[in-house]
Amino acid sequence: MTRHISLAGWLGKRAMVTLLVGLSASPIFAEEGVEILRERCAACHTETTTAEESAYFSRISDQRKTPEGWQMTINRMIHLRGIEIPKEEKRSLVQHLADTQGLAPDETEGFRYLLEQDNNRVEAGIDPDLEQMCARCHSAARVGLQRRTEQEWQYLVNFHMGQFPTTELHAMARDREWYRLAHDELAPKLAERYGLKSEAWEEWLSQEKPLLKGSWRVLGFIPGKGEYDGRMTATPDEDGNGFMLQMKGRYADGSPLEGEGHARVFTGYEWRGTLMLGDVEMRQVLAADAEGETLRGRMFLADSRRLGGEMNAYKDHGGAEILGIQPGYLRLGESGEVTLIGQHLSGEVSLGEGVRVEEVLERSDDRIRMRISAAPEVSPGARDVTVGEATGDSILAVYDRLARLEVEPTNALARVGGNGGQLDKMRVAFRAVGYAAGADGEVGTDDDLRLGYMPADWSIIPADEAAAHEQDAEYAGTIDAHGIFTPGDAGPNPERPKSANNVGRLKAVATVDDGADQLSGESRLLVAVQDYVQRVLD
Amino acid sequence: MKSSLLLSSLATIGGLMLAGIGASAAADTTSSKDPAARDYREYLLTVTRPNQLQVIDMASNSLLRSCDIPGPFGSGIMVPATDGKTAYVITNIWEDVVGIDIRNCEITFHAAQSSGNETVKSFQSVAVSQDGQELYTVQNPVRLMSDHYEVLEPRLAVFEIADGVGAQPVRTFPVDRRITKIAATGTGEVILGGGDLQAINPETGEIRLLEPLQNWDRGEQWMTPDAFAMHTQGSQANEYIMPYSTARFTDDEQDMATAEWWWGISRVDLETAESERMEIAPLTEVIMNFVTDPTDDNTLYGVFNSVSKIDISAKTIVKEQPLDHTYYTVNVSRDGNTVYAGGTSSDISVHDAETLEQIASIQLPGDMSTSDMRVAIIHDTAP
Ligand code: HEC
Ligand code: HEC
Repeated sequence: MTRHISLAGWLGKRAMVTLLVGLSASPIFAEEGVEILRERCAACHTETTTAEESAYFSRISDQRKTPEGWQMTINRMIHLRGIEIPKEEKRSLVQHLADTQGLAPDETEGFRYLLEQDNNRVEAGIDPDLEQMCARCHSAARVGLQRRTEQEWQYLVNFHMGQFPTTELHAMARDREWYRLAHDELAPKLAERYGLKSEAWEEWLSQEKPLLKGSWRVLGFIPGKGEYDGRMTATPDEDGNGFMLQMKGRYADGSPLEGEGHARVFTGYEWRGTLMLGDVEMRQVLAADAEGETLRGRMFLADSRRLGGEMNAYKDHGGAEILGIQPGYLRLGESGEVTLIGQHLSGEVSLGEGVRVEEVLERSDDRIRMRISAAPEVSPGARDVTVGEATGDSILAVYDRLARLEVEPTNALARVGGNGGQLDKMRVAFRAVGYAAGADGEVGTDDDLRLGYMPADWSIIPADEAAAHEQDAEYAGTIDAHGIFTPGDAGPNPERPKSANNVGRLKAVATVDDGADQLSGESRLLVAVQDYVQRVLD
Repeated sequence: MKSSLLLSSLATIGGLMLAGIGASAAADTTSSKDPAARDYREYLLTVTRPNQLQVIDMASNSLLRSCDIPGPFGSGIMVPATDGKTAYVITNIWEDVVGIDIRNCEITFHAAQSSGNETVKSFQSVAVSQDGQELYTVQNPVRLMSDHYEVLEPRLAVFEIADGVGAQPVRTFPVDRRITKIAATGTGEVILGGGDLQAINPETGEIRLLEPLQNWDRGEQWMTPDAFAMHTQGSQANEYIMPYSTARFTDDEQDMATAEWWWGISRVDLETAESERMEIAPLTEVIMNFVTDPTDDNTLYGVFNSVSKIDISAKTIVKEQPLDHTYYTVNVSRDGNTVYAGGTSSDISVHDAETLEQIASIQLPGDMSTSDMRVAIIHDTAP
């Protein structure tokens, strides 16, 4: 009945498919995956055959989700349904399911923050139905990153009732017929919005997948370290399932960045990397575009996944490209040092109207460090930068006055931890984005000129009078010079009335000096108690 | 904004709760000031983790005995029998009900509700008929199939107490979902606290509406109430209380920010099964539980971060005493002189009902967390 696949068989198949790197939904993988499903899952999930003669497993074949979504379900099968599956097989199964029953790139849009683990934020723009019925326990993105038949959305509701029997008794459930509403009304709605079948997925399945090996020019930001740029080389690994990674570059302050690691690609575009930068383990969650020209997403600390920053990688085809400039702003009448980042840059540098190069401090094919200045009397605005043939459109903002400072994330969530407890503190990294008023001279309008991220002085204040009265700013945590907020210790604090926890409602405040002016911006920051559930996806 | 914060903090704890079934109020009239001269003795009952029934003598505020409850902790919900001698406790993660003789810890009754692939949970719902013959639970069954769950209809289950250990339901009747606290009335009905307040005839299964809550018809001005009875601590006033919170909108926009927030109760006289519903005080702070003063049905006591005393006709909190930590549940002595704050941690805070000053504290061997705190009254031999 059950067929065993020998280790030698595994390795043999792996070696064979090395040639097919990038075409992850290959028939050979599919065959392996079906074998695993048959052996590990079919005892409970009945196997039949579809009209197209392919294997169909009850429940499993009627849903599509992200690699993390599959991982989460399989984890549940292990923990709650008692299945045993060796690590290697589990990995292959996640690969198989994500490749054959994944989400098309477009289908993850709007919810990538969850995959990128960039979720110390309060979700915005959630359908009120979903918000109260579902997103009071977990993110709405968890729902939006799945595709199911109506029956499957209904089975999912039943699963909640069976596994978490008090679901219908919680606040925001007990004042309505939660089960009936979820099963009879919401599930059909979800099947319409997030149904199993979609054109986007059909199209993606039939499309040739991007080839991701090679040399990538990378730019990004790491909290506490700052902006960086460098190169990442992806070499197909031995088992043909991923890439060996090498990353080399430097931070904006000139200090070196160097690391090695490994990445796997799911569904043909979902890039998941793990690498050591110095002695810090980092994760990459990136999405490739259909042509394999870019990888965009986020790199974060493995043990503190909320701490991270955007990362973008551009494939090196030998052509000249301008990819960014750090910093991306200069005040009229001033001079400053900037680094132009790109690849294969040769030829003359031109910075647009009224801006000129004073001195080139360092130059290579990949970057040009220089001192530049802006004339006092030219009109402010975004400038195109060119080097020889290469152009960076509107990448340098020349401005008159800093008019507005925004703090990201605007609605942040931190959690107390440590203090001998089992969970670490959940920190938040803030950044300040500057804007000039733009041509209309009015702040807060559509034509405001984004200047980019700016270094700032950081502080925290209570969110309101009640929070001030509770002295939240004294107890709930501290913020450092890099804008990293570290919440207070877990557990009751005897210094607080009723020995309350170090929770609080705060604002993170960034202050920037701009010439003679000083400008501040703030964001909301909720410091909550620990969340003991460690999830694959919130 | 504020009030919704309050409400969400309620949500995290698991909800509101409240009162239950008068243990033996009908028979009892003697209430001498001198405890030694009374013809009854009062015992405060609660459950602590890992899973023990604690029996406390209310005359001396001292722990008399700790009885082991079989199985893992349920929710600590229980009901004392009419004669006060047996406590029926929900255990085993809400699946089983056991009867424990509070005088000697003997297990006299055990109904295991789950069987095979059907898991049956009773959330807070256990009641005993006033004649002491029958025990009621509301069962919420789910069936685990090979690759999915089936959610089955909830039902009222009727057990014969005489069936003892191994008891199986003798009758079942379909009921609504989301029923938590139930109580038996002198008229032979069982009160069902869910979306609305109903009464079911446990002989025929016939259900009548007592007080609409989720389906109340008070116009656009009033928000659908958030009603939830978690604790069944057994009021000395022979009543059932379903607390709720609601808001009265002050404009047509249903603006939460300008709304007036209220605590309310639906209250059933368990003697007659007659009910009433009213707002009792502005919702200015979290209160987890209310219990009526057995000597004055216009006075309620509530707890959370304080013990509070509420004058229903004046619709105000007339007195408040801050507590050293949070307590989830409250009860009161038969003579109305002493208020007990319990639940949450391992100590019960004892207060003078008049001044609300703390007069004693009872230390228990474990945390009560969500457990009930009920009073058993025994008339003849002392346990
Ligand atoms: C011992 C029986 C058993 C085995 C073996 C088993 N499952 Fe399941 N599976 C279940 C049950 C029961 C459910 C329904 C409850 C749930 O969702 O957890 C389920 C549900 C699922 C679902 C639907 C989950 C959802 O979110 O709706 C998927 C997908 C799934 N299993 C995949 C798998 C895979 C893949 C394997 C093999 C690696 C597997 N199962 C092995 C019992 C099993
Ligand atoms: C009482 C809290 C709660 C509510 C309400 C809730 N969920 Fe969940 N949900 C959970 C938990 C806990 C899990 C994780 C199960 C696990 O460990 O695999 C989960 C898992 C899920 C998953 C992932 C399942 C899988 O294996 O892929 C989806 C999708 C989901 N929920 C959707 C919903 C939807 C849709 C609703 C509203 C109808 C909802 N949830 C309401 C608690 C909740």
